[in-house]
Amino acid sequence: MLRMHDVSKIYRTDLIETYALRKFSLEVAEGEFVAVTGPSGSGKTTFLNVAGLLEDFDAGSYELEGTDVRRLSDDARSRLRNERIGFIFQSFNLIPDLNVYDNVDVPLRYRRLTAADRDERINSALELVGLASRMKHMPAQLSGGQQQRVAIARAIAGDPAFLLADEPTGNLDSLMSRQVMDLLEQINEMGTTILLVTHDPELARRAQRNVHLIDGQISDFRAYEPRAAAVQAAAPGASGAPGSAFA
Amino acid sequence: MSLGVRPILSALLRNRTGAVLVAVQIAIALAVLVNALYIVVQRVEKIGRPTGIDEPNLLMILSTGFTARYQEVASIEEDLSWLRSLPGVVAASAISAVPLSGSGSAGALMPRPGAPPTDSVNHMEIDEQGIATLGVHLVAGRNFRHEEIQPPLTENNASQFVPEVIVSRALAEHLFPHQNPLGKPVYDLLGQSATIIGVIDPIMGNFPDNPHPDWLYLMPRLPAPFFDGVHYAVRTQPGQRDTVLRLAEAHLAKSNPDRVVNWVRPLSYFKNLSYLWDRAMEIYLLTVTALVIAVTCLGVFALATFNVSTRTKQIGTRRAVGARRRDIVRYFLIENGLITSSGVLVGCALALAAGYWLSLEYALPRLNLYYLVGGVLALWAIGQLAAWQPARRAATVPPSVATRTV
Amino acid sequence: MLGYYTRLALKSFGRNPGLTALMVLAIALGVAVCIMTLTVYHAMSGNPIWWKNDRLYAVTMDNWDPNQPWRPDWTGPPPQMTYKDSQYLFASNIPERKVVMYSVDGVISGVGSAAPERVSTRLTSADFFAMFEVPFLYGNGWSASADRPAQPVIVLSREENEKLFGGSNSVGRTLRWNDHEFRVIGVLDEWFPRPKYYDLNGGNFAPPDKAYIPQQWGIDLALLNNEDTDCWRAEKVDNYKEFIASDCVWQQMWVELPDAASRERMQSLIDGYWAEQHKAGRFPRARDNRLTNVAQWLRDNKVVDNDNRVLVGLAFAFLALCLINTVGLLLAKFLNGATITGVRRALGASRRQIFVQHLVEVGAVSVVGAALGLLLATLGLAAVHHLYAAAHLGQRGGYQELTHFDVVGVVWAVILAVAATVAAGLYPAWRIGQLPPAVYLKSQ
Repeated sequence: MLRMHDVSKIYRTDLIETYALRKFSLEVAEGEFVAVTGPSGSGKTTFLNVAGLLEDFDAGSYELEGTDVRRLSDDARSRLRNERIGFIFQSFNLIPDLNVYDNVDVPLRYRRLTAADRDERINSALELVGLASRMKHMPAQLSGGQQQRVAIARAIAGDPAFLLADEPTGNLDSLMSRQVMDLLEQINEMGTTILLVTHDPELARRAQRNVHLIDGQISDFRAYEPRAAAVQAAAPGASGAPGSAFA
Repeated sequence: MSLGVRPILSALLRNRTGAVLVAVQIAIALAVLVNALYIVVQRVEKIGRPTGIDEPNLLMILSTGFTARYQEVASIEEDLSWLRSLPGVVAASAISAVPLSGSGSAGALMPRPGAPPTDSVNHMEIDEQGIATLGVHLVAGRNFRHEEIQPPLTENNASQFVPEVIVSRALAEHLFPHQNPLGKPVYDLLGQSATIIGVIDPIMGNFPDNPHPDWLYLMPRLPAPFFDGVHYAVRTQPGQRDTVLRLAEAHLAKSNPDRVVNWVRPLSYFKNLSYLWDRAMEIYLLTVTALVIAVTCLGVFALATFNVSTRTKQIGTRRAVGARRRDIVRYFLIENGLITSSGVLVGCALALAAGYWLSLEYALPRLNLYYLVGGVLALWAIGQLAAWQPARRAATVPPSVATRTV
Repeated sequence: MLGYYTRLALKSFGRNPGLTALMVLAIALGVAVCIMTLTVYHAMSGNPIWWKNDRLYAVTMDNWDPNQPWRPDWTGPPPQMTYKDSQYLFASNIPERKVVMYSVDGVISGVGSAAPERVSTRLTSADFFAMFEVPFLYGNGWSASADRPAQPVIVLSREENEKLFGGSNSVGRTLRWNDHEFRVIGVLDEWFPRPKYYDLNGGNFAPPDKAYIPQQWGIDLALLNNEDTDCWRAEKVDNYKEFIASDCVWQQMWVELPDAASRERMQSLIDGYWAEQHKAGRFPRARDNRLTNVAQWLRDNKVVDNDNRVLVGLAFAFLALCLINTVGLLLAKFLNGATITGVRRALGASRRQIFVQHLVEVGAVSVVGAALGLLLATLGLAAVHHLYAAAHLGQRGGYQELTHFDVVGVVWAVILAVAATVAAGLYPAWRIGQLPPAVYLKSQ
């Protein structure tokens, strides 16, 4: 699925070079839920940017679903991001002047899809996150948790092979955090590979595997037991979206 | 917090596109402003030149005989005596062409027979009331006497000169530099001579656009009928012009069936037409200059606003570490000053280049450097004014912004 | 996709309505000023009979003073001819059509109870109407046989016919011109060439004459030109006979020469005549006899004056200023929205898609700006027209004839809109497309 080998990423300024990733290697198998943890400045965001094809790297190799992404043009990388990767950000990054429906529509617009096809995908993604009834709302009218669920719907609407989540609960309170994590687990169980970047060991513990980064290098692996009761923990109606499909 | 220019400059250089764009705007604005105003001032001076004529109280009439019965001299005498009898009329004269209108007669006039001909000199035929009618000042010598007024030229003596002329001071000075022109003879192309009996000043003749609109001599003669007819100039008391105009229009239309009165119009009509394009240029250039200033102001204002809004956090940090409000204001004003200065520097070169091009097009003196200095100062002031409000707003950013994440 | 981008652009305008209005206004002002200036420039620089540019020639001969040119700022022969020279050349059969003419003010009377009125009258020859393609509403011009001896026939302008005969077909009616009886044989349709290329002496944009009669009438009645008559030679001119034999220039001559061969023959006729006269003591200057086509004629006579070139330069400087202003504003606006653009890039938008999206936004601003500019220009031209017309007391002619808004203005608006989009929008749209997607995502 994802294979990084000896990937290095160096930030240069006039005076100094900083290794954000230093000979970083990681393999993620299809369907895995991997958490990447580490203190701030450890290279988590750089890893995410490189993994998500947002940034290039300086050395090493990176294969995504068997494709060597190093040789790809900007257009091809855009296309891969669009079709194979879904992004979830700490600050949601919803587009404030588009309503929920149009926000989910954004990645689909960059593909050749019929209007009917797009509509179907948007509806089912919003149903999955329990916000089908809010599709005409503007982001500002939603709570933080709802906004992040819209972002998740946007990430999965394109049916990506894997999801990159960057501190997805960082701006949320604990109840909402739990709902978002439950949702991610549910998506993972449906077969989507998930890479979760967080500094929170509590969240990381819910992943199947944990990669700890320090100074751009992996310091230790930890595997957790597969989740058991996680899905049941999401109580009906707790999302604040009565009657939603997620109840 | 250091408020030296160097850190501001280095901050500017790191994010230069916006600054460069504003500097370029200022450069273009300076070039346009300076040259447009220079042209406008020249037009204002041109329109404002003294004419020596009582313009607001003059009206002009054109009468053309068209039948075989028409008697030129009798008609002129009848018309003039009627016009002069009108209440509110100060004086009236037959005149060969309309002053300031751009049409009239001109020819060579020389201080000695056979001297090389001068640039052509404008001349008009008037009668003994001509000078009083135009309202020009006789500064030396005397006016024409009634008995000196010659009959109109005819088909048989069309090249005849006159015995006496009154000349403008500018023409006298040109023909006889630093001499008393009174009593001196002047010669036409055929060598016929006339004696200068009077000098008028100031005066503008028929041709405001000529290089020497004040070279003029007056001949004591009734206008010949074979150009476009006879003109009358009528000078009224202040405020009476339009009343007299209506009276004359009504009476002259019917008083003589052998001629037509083509029009009765205030002199200002002809002057306005002569300067119409200059006036339009003035209005147009001033409008564009105003727009240039407005657009430049908006550009400076928008960039400053953008800079403030993207640097809220930085401003908060500066405030948190102890910068006073006026330090923040000063920071943005100095930044604006640096941008304006670089724009002005380029603008000076641009303005001089445009000025040079204009001097080639117009054959005019080069751009006066005072305009450039004035323009530079004006743009400096405009830049600081436009940056003032955003800078004030920057100063209201609370220091607590520094500790907030979003 | 274009629909989607347009929707995004509208959303974006809604986000910063003030800034958007500023940009639209800046472009509108720049475009308006340009359209106004270009409309006037176009009207000034027009060639009303361009399709005859290789057939129609003004004939001039340099008979002037050996010591100075016709005017201090003039090179070449004077624009008008002497009577005797024009008559000699007029006798030639080389031109397909030929015209010798001048203009006088004549008094028309004897039509019902209408008061006598002085009207500018062209004294011309039979070919005038065909040569300058003058349209007729009623009747025709006169034939060459009416030229000499001059027949009492008159052609009226449409305007004059309306004034005298209420616009009815007046062919066959009689009137008195300078107290001689004339018969109307034709009425022109609306005809107002701008500039008045066939006779620039009375002003470049003066209205056409109101009546036309055979040229010989002017000579028979001893009438002088009401426009320019210029003399240089110290010769005694006491009467009309001496005048028409003098070196004064006051006659306008045009010929129509269908091909290069006839042109050469005409030129050598003129040069031969010149040589003969030169030997007899006339034409003291170097030989300079010209057949000038209309385009060159308009240039020689400086119909487009310097002021206008300056105004066009100024207008484009102003447009540049407005566009640079817009570039600055757009860049600021786009960079302000960089986070959102970063999200779009992360979600898979390619550089090109981001570029096109922003270009659509710029295009919308430009199109609205250009449309508003067109409106402002129309209003501006109307205002200028009003200014000129007021000074003319409602009469036609002069600069007011240059302020007619026409299809040229619309074409320029479209060109300027496209140019504005390209000039103002390409760089910001490209710049925003080049932003690395990652940088703005976490920067909040």
